[in-house]
Amino acid sequence: MVDVLIRIAGEAGQGVVTAGNTLIGGLSGMGVHLLSTQSYMSRIRGGLNWYDIRVSDRECFAGREQADLLVSFTNTAREVLSGSLIPGGLNLHDGEASDSANMIPLNAAKLAKELTGSTLAANSVAAGAVFSLLGYPSDALCGYLEKLFGQKSRELADANTKCARAGHECIKKAGFWERLHAPLPSGSVIGHIWSGAAALGLGAATAGVKFATAYPMSPSTATFAWLAEHSDQYGILVEQAEDEIAAVNMVCGATYAGVPALTTTSGGGFALMAEGLSLAGMMELPVVAVIAQRPGPATGMPTRTAQQDLQFALRAGHGEFPRAIYAPGTVQQGYQLIRTALQTAHWYQTPALLLTDQFLQDMEKLVPVFPETDKPIDRCLDLDAGAEYQRYRVPATGGVSSRAIPGGKALVVVDSDEHDTAGHLSEDFQARISQQDKRMAKLAAMQAEALPPEYYGPDTAELLLICWGSSYGPVREAVDALNTSGRSAAMLHAAQIWPLTPDAWKLRLSGRRRICCVEGNQTAQFAALLRETGILAQAETLLRYDGMPFTGAEIAERIGP
Amino acid sequence: MSQLLDLKKADTIPAWCPGCGNFPILKAFSGAFAESGLNPEKTVLVSGIGQAAKLPHYLEPPCNIFNGLHGRALPAATGIKCANHELEVIVTSGDGDMYGEGGNHFIHAIRRNIGLKVFVHNNQVYGLTKGQASPTSDEGFVTRIQTHGVMSTPFNPLALAIVEGCSMVARTCTGDPVHLKATMLEALRQKEGFVLVDILQPCVSFNQINTYKWYKERMRPIPPEHDPYDRMKALALAFQWGDSIPTGIIYRSRRPSFESRQPVLRQGSLVTRIKQKTLEQHQ
Ligand SMILES: Cc1ncc(C[n+]2csc(CCOP(=O)(O)OP(=O)(O)O)c2C)c(N)n1
Ligand code: SF4
Repeated sequence: MVDVLIRIAGEAGQGVVTAGNTLIGGLSGMGVHLLSTQSYMSRIRGGLNWYDIRVSDRECFAGREQADLLVSFTNTAREVLSGSLIPGGLNLHDGEASDSANMIPLNAAKLAKELTGSTLAANSVAAGAVFSLLGYPSDALCGYLEKLFGQKSRELADANTKCARAGHECIKKAGFWERLHAPLPSGSVIGHIWSGAAALGLGAATAGVKFATAYPMSPSTATFAWLAEHSDQYGILVEQAEDEIAAVNMVCGATYAGVPALTTTSGGGFALMAEGLSLAGMMELPVVAVIAQRPGPATGMPTRTAQQDLQFALRAGHGEFPRAIYAPGTVQQGYQLIRTALQTAHWYQTPALLLTDQFLQDMEKLVPVFPETDKPIDRCLDLDAGAEYQRYRVPATGGVSSRAIPGGKALVVVDSDEHDTAGHLSEDFQARISQQDKRMAKLAAMQAEALPPEYYGPDTAELLLICWGSSYGPVREAVDALNTSGRSAAMLHAAQIWPLTPDAWKLRLSGRRRICCVEGNQTAQFAALLRETGILAQAETLLRYDGMPFTGAEIAERIGP
Repeated sequence: MSQLLDLKKADTIPAWCPGCGNFPILKAFSGAFAESGLNPEKTVLVSGIGQAAKLPHYLEPPCNIFNGLHGRALPAATGIKCANHELEVIVTSGDGDMYGEGGNHFIHAIRRNIGLKVFVHNNQVYGLTKGQASPTSDEGFVTRIQTHGVMSTPFNPLALAIVEGCSMVARTCTGDPVHLKATMLEALRQKEGFVLVDILQPCVSFNQINTYKWYKERMRPIPPEHDPYDRMKALALAFQWGDSIPTGIIYRSRRPSFESRQPVLRQGSLVTRIKQKTLEQHQ
């Protein structure tokens, strides 16, 4: 397996991500597998941020700790991160040439200035240099830059392709051509680069979301920003709310009026939404919230990752009402599951939540092309309801009443107070019990339809690693590493957290010698849920809560013999 | 389970105290609504929680109703208006609901100048929770919580709305049913933007200071020569309180509404833009 990790590092504000985007964009034409992850500090200038790109001949699912090449924009970046290079790893830096065969000098800014009169295209110089180190011709990179800048201005496109070629030449001349053992360019891996955050946006837009509102909060904002950027294209009204309480209540209003809508936030903002979530449960509104997790409590670590809000998402909101919770494990699952969340919310007229995190939001991957055309979910509306309509008529089974929206012949009355079948406030005990029973009756059907866990690995594996959400990638890579080294391991991944399907789970649990729950939190929240639902009696746990994501190698090592 | 008590008989409608200022508001609103010619099917009444917020349930003829959370009527109404701006969206709520719990939404909904008609039943007290101070209670107002009297300055909703360029700002009082209904009708007829009508409403159970008599003695209809488009003059009127309280339309602005400025709404309301087959039930 060929697997190269390129780490681009520098201060906030230096364009680390732009450089990374340029490089991964250029590489996306090479027909190799690509995946990027990001690590950054909560500041606008200074600090130390890095952007990792994995280039491989096999599909990648997570990041790696050690890099093959470090591209550093500052001395601090080089000093701090040189230690994270593999033995013999390369250092591309902007200092002077030295005796060390692994130190590769390249003054990208200076070169760009000489060639174009400005340092703006320095990233293209660096990208050209990396292409050269990988032994790739500069054509694919130049083609990408041409496309990227060509629409904006001829001059810009020319400056960037010129700089890319110069960076490429410079490294080649200095004798560093092909210094990285790169996967063969094949052309067989085609697709587009999508981040987890953007895939959620596209999934929501194509599922027919027409109203999105949020209060900015890392790491959810990228999804909200994607929706804003594409709002004209998909006809979405995007409004920044004054706070998260407003956001969730606006979504309640919009869904009541018949428009698929969602909000995005992180744990702190979701805390403010708890009452609104409960309102959606009471009014039976298809409210959807994306919760992009970061380490808490409180403000915690705004730019880091965590899987700490599972139990919170599960219990948030006073009173008892059904909800569905999804947790995509990959960029592709994000695209699919936001649609599933919207559809489930509309089928069952109850809130659905989607848990992601900084790791998956920022992860970018070369993925087969997603359908980008509008293919709305079924809102499951009764558009012909007449004057005799009652919003909360109790059906014989299942608890789902027919849903009309205001504007037609039927008057639609909804109340946050307990209500009668017509939706009017009622303090009648009989009405209370029948409405509460009706709402909760949906849970059984939701459970019957819940996604089963995904199993990966040999059927008879002795070691079973259970995980949920974004730990999919690292755990899957750990399973591969363990099996390659002669162990017998498999993964069982939950992309739906609630409701769970005990039968589908139990089927996969019997006969294992060892079961371990791998989670990005300190208290093994999912393991607790599996115990609570009678799915799992006992299991080991493998946890991480420093704010960084797992890697496959780390899990394989910590599993031990 | 033991036999459930049947409280239907006791659950009388409306749930207001005899003599409450909410009755004249309901009556005036019903009258103004009928006269305005608005279609109940195309109207949504939105409220929060409180005694005032129960009004939508009592309206005849009935409309669509969204009776949401305490303090959250405005964001819910905003969501409804965004989803379908062809609907007339009317908000009725208490002063605690609108200016206290929902204060932040009040600031920002007016900033947006979104097309909502907002009627605030301002009784200067929390009714449903039995008599605590509200953001508009006068200084010195003694309650079982504010035992030494209210020490904070009362909130001035009209001044805030004027400062933010609200499309229409008015004050009226339940003590004058004719004025009340006429002001409500004006509000319902407003074509564009946010409309705030602050209704001074006696609470016979928990506010023994700001009574019918108290308001009646102080209400001063705004003279016809007042130019509501003059923001500074409007502000001066908004600050009048105490011995004389101006009532009527205090301020108007020509600011365009939120909906009219949204490019995505130019092709029609969002709700009509969802490609949707006929009813297709799940299962
Ligand atoms: C989140 C929340 N906090 C508190 C309450 C309790 N509560 C209900 S109504 C109300 C205040 C009512 O005052 P106002 O809005 O002025 O209406 P009024 O009853 O006087 O008409 C309060 C505090 C609640 N329902 N929800
Ligand atoms: S408590 Fe006051 S405001 Fe509420 S119904 Fe009674 S009199 Fe009216």
